[in-house]
Amino acid sequence: MIYLYRKKENLIYELHTLTLAVFILSIFFLALLFTHPLYLTSLMFITSLLLITSGNLKEWKGYLKFSLPLVGIIIIVNTLFVRVGSTVLYSGPRVPVIGRIRITLEALIYGGAMGLRLLIIISIFCLFTYTVQPDRFMKLFGKFSSKLIFIIILSIRLFPLMVEDFERITEVQKTRGVSIENDSFINKVKKTLPMVSVLLLSSLERSFEQAESMYSRGYATGRRIIYKKDIKRTRDKIIFSATGVGLTAGIISYTWGYTTYTYYPELANLNLPDYNLYFIFLITLMVPSLLNWGCKKWPKLKSKI
Amino acid sequence: MAQIKIKNLTYTYPDKKEKSLRNINLQILPGEFVLIVGGSGSGKSSLIRSIASLAPDFYGGKQEGDIFINNKNLKTTNRRELVQTLGIVFQNPESQLVMTDTEQEIAFGLENIGTEEKTIKRRIMEVTSALSLSDFKNSFIAQLSGGQKQKVALASVLAMQPEILLLDEPTSQLDPIAGEEILTMVRRLNEENGTTVILVEQKLERCFHFADRILVMEEGKIVKDSRDIGEIVKWAVKKENQYIPPLSKLFAKAGYRDIPLTIKSGRNIIGKENLMKEESKVVKTIPEKSNNIEKSILKMKNIWFNYDSEHEVLRNINLDIKKGSFSVIMGENGGGKTTLLKILNGLLRPTKGKVEVMGRNMKKLKIEEISKNVGYLSQNPKDYLFLPTVKEEMEFTIKNLHLEKEVHIDDLLDKLEILEYKQSNPRDLSTGERQRVALATVLASNPKILLLDEPTRGLDYDIKEKLGKILKKFQEEGMTIIMVTHDIEFAAEYAEDVILLYEGDIIEKGNKKEVLTKSTFYSPQISRLFYDYEEKIVTLEEGLKFLNKEKRKRDEVI
Repeated sequence: MIYLYRKKENLIYELHTLTLAVFILSIFFLALLFTHPLYLTSLMFITSLLLITSGNLKEWKGYLKFSLPLVGIIIIVNTLFVRVGSTVLYSGPRVPVIGRIRITLEALIYGGAMGLRLLIIISIFCLFTYTVQPDRFMKLFGKFSSKLIFIIILSIRLFPLMVEDFERITEVQKTRGVSIENDSFINKVKKTLPMVSVLLLSSLERSFEQAESMYSRGYATGRRIIYKKDIKRTRDKIIFSATGVGLTAGIISYTWGYTTYTYYPELANLNLPDYNLYFIFLITLMVPSLLNWGCKKWPKLKSKI
Repeated sequence: MAQIKIKNLTYTYPDKKEKSLRNINLQILPGEFVLIVGGSGSGKSSLIRSIASLAPDFYGGKQEGDIFINNKNLKTTNRRELVQTLGIVFQNPESQLVMTDTEQEIAFGLENIGTEEKTIKRRIMEVTSALSLSDFKNSFIAQLSGGQKQKVALASVLAMQPEILLLDEPTSQLDPIAGEEILTMVRRLNEENGTTVILVEQKLERCFHFADRILVMEEGKIVKDSRDIGEIVKWAVKKENQYIPPLSKLFAKAGYRDIPLTIKSGRNIIGKENLMKEESKVVKTIPEKSNNIEKSILKMKNIWFNYDSEHEVLRNINLDIKKGSFSVIMGENGGGKTTLLKILNGLLRPTKGKVEVMGRNMKKLKIEEISKNVGYLSQNPKDYLFLPTVKEEMEFTIKNLHLEKEVHIDDLLDKLEILEYKQSNPRDLSTGERQRVALATVLASNPKILLLDEPTRGLDYDIKEKLGKILKKFQEEGMTIIMVTHDIEFAAEYAEDVILLYEGDIIEKGNKKEVLTKSTFYSPQISRLFYDYEEKIVTLEEGLKFLNKEKRKRDEVI
C-alpha cells in the first residue's frame, strides 16, 4: 500500500479519508451482494469511471493485465465444468477429467458475471491502494487502540524498506556469484538463506534505529493524541450523503430481490421490475466522479465546495 | 550559567568491557554552538546520546556521574519534559522517520507528548515555512530526496521547540549542496533563535567556521576543549591530529600566525601577505597527466536508461575509462550515479546503447563473468557480511565465482591491513575494518576494475586516509578504479579524473584539476582558496608547496 499511493491534483485526493473509505467499502459490499449482470456492470462502470477521473488509468491498466486472464480462467472453468444450463451451445466428445463436453449459454454467462464481480473487487482494491493515504486511513481507527494502529503504520513503513534492502542485498550477492535463476528449488533455498540472514540483521538494526528515534521524540511517555489533518468540507458531505443514498438504494433493491438474477437452468429476463431505484443507485454512486469532473471543468466549483 | 553541566561522566555500553566515556566534565552555555570532533569510537556519539539520556535509558549499560540540564539532574527528569527541552537528529534520514507523510512525521513527537491539535497545526506551519518544506507538507516520505528527508527529521525535532539541538553527523549521507543547506539552517537556528547546538560531524570543512567552541575527543575523553579555534588548529597540527579542515590545516602547516576558518578570510590573509600579486596569477602548470594510461578498459556508447517509461535516469552517456585510471563520479543525489555504476557491473542493462568491458560487449556476458573482472563495493558494507569469519567471506566469493583456489587471501588481507582479523566475525569489527573486509570479499576475485559506491560515507578522517592510500596502492598495481562519492576532499586528494553527473547527463568530465577548480560547490576548500589562480591547486600538499614557493619568491625580491 505504502509503495503505491501518490498524491495527484484532483478532488478525489482532497476528500476526507472517511468519505473515500466509506465509498470504496460500499462498492465492495454491494459487489458481494449483487448477482444481476446489470447491477454488476453498473458497479464496474462506477468504479472504472472513478479510477479514470482520479487519474489512475495507467495504474488500473497494470491491475487489468493480471486480472483479465484470471477472469478468462473463471469463464473457461465454469463453462467446462458446469453443465446445468439448458441452452446448449456445443456438445463434444468425452474428455478425461472433464467428462463429456457440454457448453451451455447459462454457464458461460454465469462465468462472465462472476468474472465481472472479481474484476470489480480487484479494481476497487486498486482504487483504495492509489487514492487512500495509509497513515490517514489507519488513524481513522485510532480511537480503538492507538498503539495497535501505530504498530500497523510502522510495519507499513518498514515493509517497503525491507523490500529495498532485499533487492540491494540480492544485487550485492549476485556480484559475488550467487545466481539462483537457473537452479533447482533446493539450491535456490540454500542460496537465498544467506541473503535472508543479511536482511534480518539489517532489518533488526533499522528497527533499533527507528525505535531510538521514536524514544527520543517522547514515544510511550504517557497519553498520546492522534493528529488528524483531514478536514470535512461540503464536498465530503455531498459525497457522503450520495454514497449513503446509493448504498441504501442498493440494499433495498437487494432486499426486494431486484439485484438477484437467475442463471440456471435458464437465463431469466434482464429487465428490472423498477428502474427508479436502479437509477437512484447508479447516479448517486457516480457523484464522486461527476463532482471531480465538474471541478476540473469549472475550477470555481471546487473552491465553493 | 551553564545550560548543560556534566560531572564525572563515565559510561559503558551493555556487554562491553571498554568504557565509551571516561570521566567527562563539561559545561555548555545557553546559545553555544559546540562542535565535537574525533575518530570512530572516540565517544562523540556516546556523549550526545548521554546528554539526550538515550544512554543509558534506551541503550542500557552502566553510567556513573551526573548530567544536569538547566540545573535539573537527568536522573530525576521526566522523559516527556526532557524531549521538550532537547531534541536529537541522527545520521540516517531513512531510519529515523517513522510515518509515511511529511506532516504526520512532524506531528509525531507532538502527538507523543499530548500537544493540542491546534498547537500541532501551528507548529507544523511554522517549521515547514522555516525549513522551506511547505511544498512537501503533503508529500510521501518515500518520494523525498535524502536532503529533504533529513530536513523533515530536523523539522520533526524542531516542532517540539527544544532549547538544545543535538545532531549526530546529520549530513554524512547527503550530497554537498544538501549538506550545506542543512548546516546553514542549523546555524540560523543558533544565531537567530538562540538554540544551543551540539554537533558531531566528520565533514569539518562544512561546519568548522560555525562553531563557537570545539571539543576534540579521543578514547572516550575530551582531550581538547577551546573557544579559540586558531589555538585548536595549531594544537591539532602539532599533534598531527586529523580533525581540522584542510584550509585551516594548510595555513597552520605553512606557519601562518592567523588561521582562517573561511575561504574569504584565507584569501584576505594571502592578499595581505602580498602573495596574490599579478605575476603569480599567471603562473601556469600543465595539469597532471594520468599514469601510463592510454588503453581503454571500459567504454559506454550512447547509454540511455530508465526504470519506467516516464523517467529517464541516464541520457546519452558516453564514457571512455582508461586502464589504470582512478575516476570519481559526483553529482546530486538521484542524479543517476549509482545507476551508472550498476550498468558498469552488469546489474542493470541499459535501455539503449552499448557497454564494452575489456573489449567485450557486456550484453553477451553473464553477471558472474562480469564479476570476475569488475568488482563492486556497494554503499552498505554490511550487505556483504553474513558468514562467521573474514576468511569464509572471502572463500564464499571465490567458490561462487569458480575461481582458482590459489587466490592469496592472506596477501590481500595484509594489503588491506586486516590480516589479524582473518578468523574474526566481520560484524564484530569497527566501521572502517568492516568496510575493508567487504572490500576484501570484492577483491577476492582479483578484478581488473573496481567500482565503489560512496565508500567514505560515515568514515572518519584517519580511516578515509587509510582507504585512500590502499586504493592508490591498487591503482599503482594496475587496477582501474571508478568511485561514486560526495566526498569532494577525498576525490581531490586521491582521484585523477572527475565526472560530474546532473539529471542523467554528464555535464563535465576531465582531469580533477580542470573540473574541481571550475566548480563552486563541487570543489575542495584548497581549490576555492586559489580559485583565481591560473595554477590548478586541489590538494593540501599542492597548496602547501605553492604557498612556500610564493613565500620564497617574495623573500627573494625583498
